Amino acid sequence: MVSLLSLPIASVDFTTLPQQLVNGLLLGAIYALIALGYTMVYGVLKLINFAHGEVFMLGSYGALFTAWALGFGPNGNAAQGSLLTLVLMLLGAMAVSGSMGLVIERFAYRPIRNHPRIASLITAIGLSLLLQYGGQVFILEGKKQSIPEKVSPYQSNIDINIVKPNEKLLEEAKALQPKLDAATAAFKEKLKTEKSEFDLSPQGELLRDEVDKLTKEQRKLQDDSKKGSVLVQIAQGKLIMLAFTLVLMAGLTYLVMKTKMGRAMRAVSQDFNAASLMGININTVISFTFFLGSVLAGAGAMMYSTFQSAPIDTFSGMAPGVKAFVAAVLGGIGNIPGAVLGGIIMGIAENLVSWAGYSNYRDAIAFVILISVLLFRPGGILGSNKVEKV
Amino acid sequence: MIWARNRIISLVIGFLGLVLFDKFILGLSASYDYVKIVVMMCGVFVTLAVSLNLINGITGQFSIGHAAFFQVGAYTCALLSSSVFQSFSQKQPVLWLLFAALFGAIGAAIAGFIIGLPSLRLKGDYLAVVTLGFGEIISIIVRNQKALGEAYGKPVDKIHSVFMVWGLAVLAIAVCRNLLKTAHGLSFLAVREDEVASSAMGVNVTKIKVTAFVIGSAFAGAAGALMAHTKAFVTPQDFSMDVSFIILTMVVLGGTGSITGSVIAAIIFYIIPEKMRDLPPSIPMHVPVAALFGIIAAVIGMRAVQQKIHDEKLKAAGLYVLSMIGGTIVAFMLNLLLKAVPPLQATIIGSNLRMPVLAITLVVLMLLRPQGIFGHHEFSLDWVKGLFKRKSVATSGGIAQ
Repeated sequence: MVSLLSLPIASVDFTTLPQQLVNGLLLGAIYALIALGYTMVYGVLKLINFAHGEVFMLGSYGALFTAWALGFGPNGNAAQGSLLTLVLMLLGAMAVSGSMGLVIERFAYRPIRNHPRIASLITAIGLSLLLQYGGQVFILEGKKQSIPEKVSPYQSNIDINIVKPNEKLLEEAKALQPKLDAATAAFKEKLKTEKSEFDLSPQGELLRDEVDKLTKEQRKLQDDSKKGSVLVQIAQGKLIMLAFTLVLMAGLTYLVMKTKMGRAMRAVSQDFNAASLMGININTVISFTFFLGSVLAGAGAMMYSTFQSAPIDTFSGMAPGVKAFVAAVLGGIGNIPGAVLGGIIMGIAENLVSWAGYSNYRDAIAFVILISVLLFRPGGILGSNKVEKV
Repeated sequence: MIWARNRIISLVIGFLGLVLFDKFILGLSASYDYVKIVVMMCGVFVTLAVSLNLINGITGQFSIGHAAFFQVGAYTCALLSSSVFQSFSQKQPVLWLLFAALFGAIGAAIAGFIIGLPSLRLKGDYLAVVTLGFGEIISIIVRNQKALGEAYGKPVDKIHSVFMVWGLAVLAIAVCRNLLKTAHGLSFLAVREDEVASSAMGVNVTKIKVTAFVIGSAFAGAAGALMAHTKAFVTPQDFSMDVSFIILTMVVLGGTGSITGSVIAAIIFYIIPEKMRDLPPSIPMHVPVAALFGIIAAVIGMRAVQQKIHDEKLKAAGLYVLSMIGGTIVAFMLNLLLKAVPPLQATIIGSNLRMPVLAITLVVLMLLRPQGIFGHHEFSLDWVKGLFKRKSVATSGGIAQ
């Protein structure tokens, strides 16, 4: 009988764990940005905006086209980007996503707001399909694009040694260097009198073996010195990304908690009808919420495609969209800090799955988490745990 | 008695029709195999749509991962026909099809039971997402199994039988229809209308929901098994999220709860995309753009008028036709205008327009007629007659035979 489930046997290396956790955190920050859009829209409308992933996808096209307009395109001649380039790209992505969000809300969701929820859900699915496949037809023939690396001036890595490599062994390896140099020089000298590199005299072979031996020895020492050492590498660009994300989240928190519009949003999310009786313009609030969520998705899209160098095509919004949705549910849908927490957990979980050797299953983990959350704690981690009674 | 006789007569006519179709019409057409496959795939999708309708329309759940059960059935059949039952399936292909459908149904029913259980705790959009996620998990697992051919897929013996496929479709229709006539079926409808009230009336809501999932997924699995032999190949692409959405589109467009609606929508929405494969390989871009604006104009016009007119009849028929004509005119005029815009003169591949057209249909229909073409009604002669009568709409609509 054929075995039905053949999972690869995992091999885990704990020294790379911190690196994976950091990568997960950085990826999770982007998921959190997208998740905020889901969560806010759900908060005010009780609607899962399935087209949010597509808003994200359009945002990454916004970033791409801004980069092209700044001369980083296939025929462009710009040499190296600056912080200004990145900010412009961010604004471009946010503008495209934000306006798309507004259009979708106005023309697809608003007309059927009073219909059963299922109708809006189906509309959302239809819109998502329309943007994916319609985009495939109209935007650059649906070919995979990517943002050129040179837009970001922050290419180098920052190394953080948590457990330092064995210095004694490293020094030993360094001490071998003169010997190796000498042997190499001798071999090169000998090579001049030989017929060719592949047809050596016995003496030449001896010299070559000596070089080989020393090289191997040095490499082994270097490898041994790294054994047990823990190194975390962070690309500078990703740190910038994290900073951007934090600024956006702080801005959002301010907006929701301190401004008049934010108060209106919270009121609408608590009670739609009562809020409208209190003189809140529901349509404006909902449009604004869509705009805000879409803008955040656009920012996330720009960072995802620039700093995580994710390729862009019209289907590229689907996977991050679904993961962000899971993040929103995980944190407690409708709950803003919950979305951030959920996003980070999702990012880390995904990296841990590939770290454990199951990288083929890294997209499945989102759904596994989703189903278990919905089964065991449907309100999410930070959400209120209301059980609908039957 | 009259009804029983009518039913027998229609069954006999249907059977004769199939025989005629199989023996003569198919034989006459030049691309025999292609037409036959299209006809059989129509049957497969009819089964899928009707079975999803049992879950979504009749029981009022919201599953959008129907392709998962379809996939389980197809792969169960592919695995069995290439290992344990290899000699049997080669010696007795048609008999094996019967067993394949059965095994596919059993495999998918088990999957349906597993996914049906959590559905007890979830409602609406959450349930939708869980079913979607479940489908994706199955798809990812299949993609990573050596025994199942990974992402490439698995060849299966080619066994074509129009009778088996359409027989299954008829069975699915009959089961759903007859279910609605029984007391048991009424409890399905009760769960759809109001869970709390129906459980207060003594309906076992849990049992009903799981039963709906199990029956629906069993039919999807059987359809999958037959599709595997129809296409002679199973590959994960045939069961992607898009397929789930296509099946959902069929159910929604036909009218959730309307069996005949599902059947008609399934046939239309299998054949239209299939026909669109024949579109010319290069279409100038202004044509679809103009068409899109025509549709938008029609929708806006219709919504504007819809709110002013209260005559149901006018809303139902004349308005749709009028706005269609209006939209066509707008599209035609725009096309002439847009021709002059240089970036829109670029060409696109015609057959790529299949999915966008499907998606637009879904969105437009949701905006204009969220209950689907037939709503909860069944398509029948009485229903058509009712449309043209002035007064007796209320009596002849509803549960028509």
